[in-house]
Amino acid sequence: MTTLPKEVTLSIDGLPVTVPEGTLLVEAAKAVQTDIPVYCYHPKLGPAGLCRICLVEIEKTPKLQIACNTVVAEGMVVRTQGPKVEDGRRAVLEFLLLNHPLDCPICDKGGECDLQDYSIAYGQGMSRLAERKELKPKAIDLGPTIVLDDERCIVCQRCSRFDEIVTNERSLVVKDRGQRDVIATATGAPYRSNFSGNVTELCPVGALTSKTYRFRSRPWDLQRTRTTCQQCSVGCALNVDERHGNVLRTMSVPSDDAVSEGWLCDRGRYNVGFYADERRITSPLGRFGDEWVQLSWDDAIELWATRLEEALASAGSASIGVLGGGRLLNEEILLVRHVMRALGIANVDWRTGRQRQASPGARGGTYDDLENAQAIVTLGRPPSQSAPVMDLRIRKAVLRNGARLISIGAHPASSFVPATHLARLSDLAGTLAEVERIAFVWDGIDAALGAEAEAALAKLAAEGKHVSVFVPGETPNARGAEALGLLPAGGALDTRAQLEAARGGTLRILSIFGANPVLHHPAGAAFVREALKRVPFVVATDLFLTETGRLAHLVLPAKAAFEKDGHSFDLTGAVHAVNAAHGAPPDALSDGEVMIALAAHLGIDLPSPRELADWATASPATIANGLGDAALCGSLAPARDGAAGLRLAIAAHPFAGGGTVYFDDRLGELRPRPGLLLSPATAQAAGIGEADLVDLAAGGRVLHDLVATLDGNALEGVVTIVDGLPEAPANDFGEGETVTLGNVRSSRALAGSVV
Amino acid sequence: MVVKVLTEGIGEVDLCDIEIYRARGGYEQWRRAVTALGAAGVMDATNRSGLRGRGGAGFPTARKWSFLPANGRPRYLVCNSDEAEPGTFKDRMLLERTPHQVIEGILIGSYAIGSRHSFIYIRGEFAEGYRIFKAALAQARAAGFVGERIFGSDVTVELTVHRGAGAYICGEETALLNSLEGRRGEPRLKPPFPAVKGLYGEPTVVNNVETLAYLPHILRNGPEWFASVGPQRSPGFKVVSVSGHVKRPGNFEVPLGTTLRELLELAGGPLEGRKIVAIQPGGGSSACLFEEHLGLSYDFDTMAAHGTMLGSGAIVFFDDSTDFVKAALALVRFYAHESCGQCTPCREGGHWLEVTLERILHGGGVESDIDMLLAVAHQLTGINLCPLGDSIEPFLASVVKRFEGQFRSYVRTLPVPA
Ligand SMILES: Cc1cc2nc3c(=O)[nH]c(=O)nc-3n(C[C@H](O)[C@H](O)[C@H](O)COP(=O)(O)O)c2cc1C
Ligand code: SF4
Ligand code: SF4
Ligand code: SF4
Ligand code: FES
Repeated sequence: MTTLPKEVTLSIDGLPVTVPEGTLLVEAAKAVQTDIPVYCYHPKLGPAGLCRICLVEIEKTPKLQIACNTVVAEGMVVRTQGPKVEDGRRAVLEFLLLNHPLDCPICDKGGECDLQDYSIAYGQGMSRLAERKELKPKAIDLGPTIVLDDERCIVCQRCSRFDEIVTNERSLVVKDRGQRDVIATATGAPYRSNFSGNVTELCPVGALTSKTYRFRSRPWDLQRTRTTCQQCSVGCALNVDERHGNVLRTMSVPSDDAVSEGWLCDRGRYNVGFYADERRITSPLGRFGDEWVQLSWDDAIELWATRLEEALASAGSASIGVLGGGRLLNEEILLVRHVMRALGIANVDWRTGRQRQASPGARGGTYDDLENAQAIVTLGRPPSQSAPVMDLRIRKAVLRNGARLISIGAHPASSFVPATHLARLSDLAGTLAEVERIAFVWDGIDAALGAEAEAALAKLAAEGKHVSVFVPGETPNARGAEALGLLPAGGALDTRAQLEAARGGTLRILSIFGANPVLHHPAGAAFVREALKRVPFVVATDLFLTETGRLAHLVLPAKAAFEKDGHSFDLTGAVHAVNAAHGAPPDALSDGEVMIALAAHLGIDLPSPRELADWATASPATIANGLGDAALCGSLAPARDGAAGLRLAIAAHPFAGGGTVYFDDRLGELRPRPGLLLSPATAQAAGIGEADLVDLAAGGRVLHDLVATLDGNALEGVVTIVDGLPEAPANDFGEGETVTLGNVRSSRALAGSVV
Repeated sequence: MVVKVLTEGIGEVDLCDIEIYRARGGYEQWRRAVTALGAAGVMDATNRSGLRGRGGAGFPTARKWSFLPANGRPRYLVCNSDEAEPGTFKDRMLLERTPHQVIEGILIGSYAIGSRHSFIYIRGEFAEGYRIFKAALAQARAAGFVGERIFGSDVTVELTVHRGAGAYICGEETALLNSLEGRRGEPRLKPPFPAVKGLYGEPTVVNNVETLAYLPHILRNGPEWFASVGPQRSPGFKVVSVSGHVKRPGNFEVPLGTTLRELLELAGGPLEGRKIVAIQPGGGSSACLFEEHLGLSYDFDTMAAHGTMLGSGAIVFFDDSTDFVKAALALVRFYAHESCGQCTPCREGGHWLEVTLERILHGGGVESDIDMLLAVAHQLTGINLCPLGDSIEPFLASVVKRFEGQFRSYVRTLPVPA
């Protein structure tokens, strides 16, 4: 039973306000459009009572009170103006500016700085300080992403509180005392976090700035477009700030409560520079022998259309394969699907990586379900790396609501919150007795495990528990590709079968949409390369010449996600608008536009824009009914080896993947180095020390020179490597496979021998 | 007139020896509390004694205990032995010279509020007191006074000793709790108050060493004995630390209501040929009184009525040789240095006053600086998160007003600017 919260009525500057009991004065004031200045208070971080700028006068209370930590009361009479309040504010502002460098002309925050704004609104314009200002360190390199200017810091502790309350990582702290205090990392080590960029937005002044945005622009010169991040399947709302054709920064959308709660991960925030990289493909390219030749779009489409017609005529639609689609927008997916169906092509599969399934089935949950779960179970790869902002919800559930976090399988939860680990799904039975709301996060990789999980969940649901399921996509719009039917229907070939057909010489044409199976498909790079080499005509759309694109015959320059309009699903199945924030290179076309051109060439009628829009914004359930596709999950059991030895776990990493992140040099420091992760005990047993170089091998396949990292969080007997690194492609290896480690060398000894 | 309650036996026998302490009736009140009075009985006696906190704020002890919610959560008693208020050195004496009395007080207080695990937070610099207290605690534990099943009952009181790291602010009760939890020693935002959400988020009482040490005596002699001494609303005894320009500085235990003049005489009176011109009656945070106030009764309410406070019970006498500009700088520097830096007015304002006073002292002051000192001290007061920030103005303002001439003499030496 829910009871409506009781309401109280108070007066703010003479205006009556009615708000729920327990509301903070600072929030109640917003209801009457009254501006109470704040620095340390932030709605998502709560009151801290440090800056003292929010002073107000409350009748019958002799001293000024802080609005950020005062709870409303019935009949309370509040004044946010008047001489007493203004004196208090002026005093606080004078103190804040006392030792502040006032280097606004060279400060990136200028124009959107709360200190600047309030000083103009409430300050006195003159400092009475006769002494020299205290100097503090400037332009400190705080870590790979952030620069700190201690002199500008007003010690509101928003950054350190974010790092404690929201991420629980606790690396940012206040050091020293009194006027000498500064922001620093607790251990003195660089500030590294998947969420570091958020502190630059929380910082009310210019003390924390992003390396990618320093000295780049003024806020009033920026043109802002709201869109949805397309770097992973979480679907965070994103503001893209552009000036004169350059994307200068991306910012969160504070009101995005349903998905991101106003946060962004560093991949979503900082991985934008690639669009302008000089390696980007800017016109269609044809490969003739070993030579790449620039083509016009007309010639390119004509070539493709002709090859399709020839193949259809000579070998039929079964000789044609289509791969990819998990990076496309819903409209584009629908167009690919429509054109291929019109041609009778059924060999279609978006699953070019390890993931077999991106939909949660009948028990799909919302992010609120996740936050309110009493137990969160992660099966396989944890969302902490593959769906970063989703992991903040998990941390919130654990930290604020006391939820239990349980990881199953070879991957620990890695969420910076307490978690337990179970070896097998069957160990779960009995541990959830008192829990009513369970959230289940599965990586969608091992189909057999997924079926086992589904049976376990059905049992829990039958016991009357509320079960919600989440499957983070391996690609940003995997959910869309799956829901809108980029799957092999009725016995058609899935990705592996297409690759096998290619190797067998029966595949005549392969069209690949924004995918890189050479790096990602678990059949392994050599297998995929060999397959692609045997297909007479391979066409690929992409931004860059990837490992896969280099083997194609025709490569078409695509648009980046913030260069096109459309819709996408987040992993919960909610639809979000994607808006073009930036002009693409003149000769780039979105995959949807390419499909329109191809259809025109082939004389295929297209759905009306209206029809397209309806389907692109429908819910996955509506689509399932309307389009009537049964998801055909072909089983691809990864190579498994039960023998004793080290078990291989293959993890995701926000800055892995051979695509966009590899084409922005500013992200170099964030990219994972080829390495492996071991528990200290496992490492010791294998004779491996921290930072040693190691070769990893299984059945004749070898990854050389992996740098060893020892991590107390890692599981015993497991060696973890990162998927999707071009320097050390993990897709030659299978999850759970037995591997051997050898050729162990100290990296120091090696470095020494070079000198 | 000095009395001997807490100070009984100090300087005569070795009260650190548990046998000697017990031979004089030590731990008998602890036994009586558990075996005869019960927690409610202790609570009632404390209430009727009128005991007010000896840590600084003078809050009625039984009232503070009564704020603990009856919610079945664990409760904690924390004994505040961080004693760092300028001029205060009474807790140190109690800790070093009569530690068992402190332990007995903590045990009785813990039992009264239902704390099964209590803590004592000892100032970092009290290396000797820490060593002595630990040794005494080991004796008390061995004798069965601390731990489980006390006197065969089902009462459990554990006591953990924690040594601070040398920060004045950690004497403030919520900063103390943060420090005890291993966090940065800075005050917490209130509400919630410690009684509701204190140590590890549970209901907590923080009491001063001296406050708790009076408990065994109140039980032994009865609450009426304590309540009948001194002014009605400010009853009982107090160990007063007297220092400054006196012949015999030290701790003097007196009934509250003793006059300042008597306390001056107890401390041997002014130095030869000197005259007392100012009295800081309640630690560094209190405003000065002056020679005309020597006849005042030393108790919580009389001090408050004269715009100052009894505070921790530390009196500093200043004679006519005092340079009040230097004295003001010393104190302002202390507060600026000890500010945790969390909140704006205290962090910035304290530092500003310090550098301004330094400049005045070094001959760089101008006339308007004196008004500015008063204005800045005033504008930083009353808007801080904890009382430390509000501790700067009282002494500074009181001596600037009284000894304005001294301040003017420093700025007058400046050549008139062209
Ligand atoms: C800056 C500051 C320092 C303090 N230092 C001490 C101290 O050293 N010892 C102490 O007992 N109380 C100190 N207090 C007071 C405590 O906050 C608290 O009121 C006291 O320990 C309560 O004990 P009582 O009720 O027995 O007096 C200090 C308060 C402030 C604001
Ligand atoms: S760096 Fe910015 S956010 Fe952090 S404490 Fe300083 S002003 Fe606040
Ligand atoms: S979590 Fe995913 S959607 Fe959100 S900002 Fe990061 S990459 Fe973008
Ligand atoms: S008043 Fe001073 S000591 Fe107290 S919390 Fe604020 S900055 Fe810290
Ligand atoms: S916003 Fe209220 S004290 Fe900072």
